[in-house]
Amino acid sequence: MIEESVYEKYLSALLAGRRSECHDIVQKLLANGIDLKELYGKLFQRSMYQVGELWENNRITVANEHLATSITESLLNLAYPSIFATERIGKKAVISCSANEFHQVGGKMVADILELNGWDGHFLGANTPPEDMVQYIQEVKPDLVGLSLSIFSNIGHLERCIDVVKTDFPNMDLLIGGQAFRWGGTDTIKRHSRAEYVPSLDELERSIKGA
Amino acid sequence: MVEDRIIDRETFGYLKEHAPVLFFVLSEEGRIVDANAYACSLTGRSLVGENLRNIIVDFSGRFDLKAVMGEPSLEPLIHIGTASGLPQSFYFTFKPVSDHILALGRLDAEEIEKTRKEVSALNQELNNLMRELHKKNAQLKRLDEEKNQFLGMAAHDLRKPIGLIITYSEFLMEEAADLLDGEQKGFLNTINSSCTFMKRLVDDFLDVSAIEAGRFDLELQLVNITTILEESLKLNHLQAIKKGIVLQVQAGECTQRMAMDASKIEQAITNLVSNAIEHTQPGTKVNIALACDQQSMTFSVRDRGPGIPPEEMKKLFKPFEKTSAKKTGGEKSTGLGMLITRKIIEAHGGEIWVDSTLGSGTTVYFRLPRKGWEQ
Repeated sequence: MIEESVYEKYLSALLAGRRSECHDIVQKLLANGIDLKELYGKLFQRSMYQVGELWENNRITVANEHLATSITESLLNLAYPSIFATERIGKKAVISCSANEFHQVGGKMVADILELNGWDGHFLGANTPPEDMVQYIQEVKPDLVGLSLSIFSNIGHLERCIDVVKTDFPNMDLLIGGQAFRWGGTDTIKRHSRAEYVPSLDELERSIKGA
Repeated sequence: MVEDRIIDRETFGYLKEHAPVLFFVLSEEGRIVDANAYACSLTGRSLVGENLRNIIVDFSGRFDLKAVMGEPSLEPLIHIGTASGLPQSFYFTFKPVSDHILALGRLDAEEIEKTRKEVSALNQELNNLMRELHKKNAQLKRLDEEKNQFLGMAAHDLRKPIGLIITYSEFLMEEAADLLDGEQKGFLNTINSSCTFMKRLVDDFLDVSAIEAGRFDLELQLVNITTILEESLKLNHLQAIKKGIVLQVQAGECTQRMAMDASKIEQAITNLVSNAIEHTQPGTKVNIALACDQQSMTFSVRDRGPGIPPEEMKKLFKPFEKTSAKKTGGEKSTGLGMLITRKIIEAHGGEIWVDSTLGSGTTVYFRLPRKGWEQ
């Protein structure tokens, strides 16, 4: 359980760019046995959404937002020894950000939650051209593909990505999510067969446990 | 007008101290008459008296300072050498004022943004690589565990049938000796000795598998080391007699009991003494010594073998690696004995080391600390 005071302290340090303070807070939470899903959802995701809102409302600069994102990404490394040690269940996923989408933390966290559930989560990173994604899918032969969108103005790129993947793999299950959809726009996803909007990491887990 | 009142001495001093741009007052030849705090901090020196050309990094070698100073309408991009060693780019304007020239350099905002994006992208890539590294490490660890499990299972399943072959071949050699001719006895001997070696190999595999899987637990008990040494020498005695080798033992005052895993230390000593016998010329001797003090117990065994070349010493404790030092009786080794011995000693908090001289022989030592091991 992450106390509100701890979260506020973390967010303050994150916005001020105080990397080592953020590191110490996360390190302490891990040492106290924090549930990794809670760490991801209630600390990393929550703070990243708040950073996003502050930027959208011009309360912080883009440089500030990038620094906060960079710190968050580096802190994910602290959880990796536990995440990758879980037993494998023989399922694979390819997770990516669409072309022109440079915010990759959300997608990476999805890949990590999949790993935590025993999946082999291949993360392709930011700004992945759809053709490269298709080639990777052909090599890896995943059980599902995940796409992340953080900025709604990139929706056109996401749609193209879905079309390209579905052309070569019409029966591929797609899970789509990201901060871009917080205020709507999920109709785009519903137009495609076997494409599901996943609003949260909890929903993601429920969805893959049914897969 | 406001502008007429702006640049008084105090205001000028304030701007000179705090403005985040490069500001120089230059002579017509480009000599720096005055420089602001930002410029001095960036370059790491006072600058007054130097020519502006001294701090310009000119990659092309064709930069004409005089020409740009004489053209106020230009806004050239000039690279300034900084204290860090890396050049930084500034857009400069030059304005003649009486017999001096004012030079202002502002940062290239696009350049800064570009650099920031590049750093951000590199950081992302680094974090992605870190993720892959953690993932690969976890995969390797799983493969290693599977390998150890397989090794342990295979060795365990082989033990019983090998044991049966040894038992029945020995039985036949004893009970049916009268019924067998020389050739058939030879066959049985070969079966027995080959299976005995296989059993040793399987036992060593099981030990290594247990060590690698972290199942190497010590059963500590208070024992007298001389008792363990005596038991070990009983096991090696026959081997030594067959080769006409004398085991010369020098045991110091080691009466105090120490906590150790008796069977494992016996295994270590037996292995080292057996190795020494195998490498020693028949008709000579093997020296065994035991010394104890308040802090530790030191065991050593010296053979009269060919010695080990210095460049091969690193092979000694590696699995399946063998040195060129040949065994004098043609004996076979599993290649795992020294590795297992070292693991036993290190599990007790001790250390093992080897001295060897070509043509003279090899001495293997191990030391076990007394402190912390006694109850």
